[in-house]
Amino acid sequence: MNMKTIGRAAATLLLSLFGCVALVAPAWAFCGFYVSKADASLYNQASQVIIARDGDRTVLTMANDYQGEVKDFALVVPVPVVLEEEQVHVGEPEIIERLDTFSAPRLVEYFDHNPCDPVALPAPMPQAPGAARGTANEALEFDDAESLGVTIESQFSVGEYDILILSARESEGLETWLRQNDYRLPENASRLLQPYIRDGLKFFVARVNLEEFEDGDFQRLRPLMMAYESSRFMLPIRLGTMNATEAQDLIVYLLSPRGQVELTNYRTVRIPSDEELPEFVEDEFGDFYKAMFTHSYDREGKRAAFLEYAWDMAWCDPCAANPLTPEELRQAGVFWLNNLRPQPGQPRRLPAQPGPQNVFITRLHVRYTRDRFPEDLRFQQTANRENFQGRYIIRRPYRGEMECAAADPYRQQVRDRQAREAETLASLTGWRLSDIRRKIDTLPTPEDPRPWWQDLWSGRGRLNPG
Amino acid sequence: MFKDARDAQIAFLALFLLLGVSTRDWTLHPSLLLATIASCLLAQWLSTVLIPYAQQRRLGAAIAPDTRPVPLLSLPGWRSALITSLGLCLLLRANSPLTMAIAGCLAIASKSLLRYQGKHFFNPANFGIIAVLLLTQNAWVSPGQWGAEPIYLLFFAGAGCLVLGWVGRWETSAAFLVSYGGLEAARSLYLHQAWDIWAHQFSSGSLLLFALFMLTDPRSIPNARGARLLWAVAIALSTFVLQHQFYLPTAIFWSLFALAPLTPLLDARWQAPAFDWRAVYRRDRQTLADG
Repeated sequence: MNMKTIGRAAATLLLSLFGCVALVAPAWAFCGFYVSKADASLYNQASQVIIARDGDRTVLTMANDYQGEVKDFALVVPVPVVLEEEQVHVGEPEIIERLDTFSAPRLVEYFDHNPCDPVALPAPMPQAPGAARGTANEALEFDDAESLGVTIESQFSVGEYDILILSARESEGLETWLRQNDYRLPENASRLLQPYIRDGLKFFVARVNLEEFEDGDFQRLRPLMMAYESSRFMLPIRLGTMNATEAQDLIVYLLSPRGQVELTNYRTVRIPSDEELPEFVEDEFGDFYKAMFTHSYDREGKRAAFLEYAWDMAWCDPCAANPLTPEELRQAGVFWLNNLRPQPGQPRRLPAQPGPQNVFITRLHVRYTRDRFPEDLRFQQTANRENFQGRYIIRRPYRGEMECAAADPYRQQVRDRQAREAETLASLTGWRLSDIRRKIDTLPTPEDPRPWWQDLWSGRGRLNPG
Repeated sequence: MFKDARDAQIAFLALFLLLGVSTRDWTLHPSLLLATIASCLLAQWLSTVLIPYAQQRRLGAAIAPDTRPVPLLSLPGWRSALITSLGLCLLLRANSPLTMAIAGCLAIASKSLLRYQGKHFFNPANFGIIAVLLLTQNAWVSPGQWGAEPIYLLFFAGAGCLVLGWVGRWETSAAFLVSYGGLEAARSLYLHQAWDIWAHQFSSGSLLLFALFMLTDPRSIPNARGARLLWAVAIALSTFVLQHQFYLPTAIFWSLFALAPLTPLLDARWQAPAFDWRAVYRRDRQTLADG
């Protein structure tokens, strides 16, 4: 890493449910500083899920990015066990944004120093980082459930949601029951529901309780969280492909006390990282990341999931956002930290500064379609504690006055570098090289280069006979 | 082209490793590869040269005065040790070279320590993998590392058929794949699941690599053909149960490990001559000469 450069800022990318390999100490932020971000708003149909898991214990948080009329909202998710009221919770939407900002692919920048100045040490400038629960008792109407082979295993209200946990004998019965109870299902839903029923899964069905929603004065629907114990470490995506016309983006934040989480039935591929890019990418980092992601996705045959971030959550370098506090980790579903629960008789004590927390985050970005991702996602925890981040670098050339012998070689070096950066950008995104070159602010060649004949006539190049 | 089927196997495994690193986004540190290969070869030298040499020095002259001394600068069985180390490099992932070295040493040690009537019954690489999964906290296996792309599957199948045809163990792979595929198909039928899900499960590169290159180690699996068929079907059944009842992503490795001790029992029930690599080599030369 170049000691003589100084870094400044960086960036992030967030997407929407069902939807510098850091070998250096964090203090100096050798990996540059956060400049810009590419977030969830980049993707039209994106979902975000947090899965915190230790052993068989799992806390699943589903972000709710539902855009339509609240009264029409309904969610059907296959779950491995029957959930009781205490196991379901309504989370804070901010926690998903926090995780996203913390883990998003980032753009960092470095400034070349004046090649004519004595060596200056870098002066890093760190960047600052960046619910009420109600009850509802209105019972839903459940006619004919038994005759249709549908069993309501449990029903309760949590926050603005009315929840049902259903089990069923046959998919037609379940489909009929759901339709009778005003759940809008796409055509052929039973074909997709049947394998889940046969596999012993239950159905978590959520609807918005309008009174609660209006009383609560919520701006948007909050994420649903569920805690359960099951050996199945999977995420059902098949219902999501039911009537999707195009590929869907899913971002999964996997929190584990052990190490990286990877898919076992699809490839997990690292997103290209640590690439040096032209300066103009700062202004269009979102477009760049989207194009690069699509290019990588196509190159892998649209069959792979991408690793965008894998890091010990106690620190980061560069930090797109401060590490999460223990309280924020708890909100994200982390249940294995000892210091979360105050001892009886003792006030809760939380460390003022984030410290070692035994939480490893893996951020996977999956773009899936029915034909390339026919199976649900299955995961496994690994012991892999290698850090990885999607990180892109801008090197700012020194553009001030340069009057010394080192200036010309420096200019040439920068021009070579700019040419390489253009080629890198073209190969990462598939953009046209000529378009890229046009946008690059190439460092000018030395002014008035001395004509080659000048020395010949001026006598400076004359051979000394003596 | 190759004198010995094991040479072909070494070439293919090395090629798979190269393919994995260059096209499948594997991040393997050279130190891990080096630790694995060095530990396997060293363990092989210890068990086949140094320990026999020391024993000979201590007792040999008195017991068997005619025994030829073991030359210290030799490495009998290096091919087998290299195959084991390549298998480990392909399948096992770890945080430190030490873990890989432990896997390598235990894999080779299992060949000399866990024997019944002169035959080892654990597949060495499989033993090494399970041993470090059980004994250490920093090793893992990535079943999704090859994906399910047809081109790789064809390549594995071609290479596998070549080697297995040579050593005459193709029926073991076939029995495993047919029974495992059959069980998965039955499950798909029961679940009313779309067939492309079955096709996706069945076209996993890791599954094929396991079936063609790990399951068929002729030295550690049953000698008689009937016994091998039964054994392969049992492993398929156990894999199926572990995968779908206990949700173990590495079910195939655990199944092979758990059922390996059946080999001596099956060998006792169905007797057949033990496999000998040199016999295969002699047979080939004979065929060539006759031809």
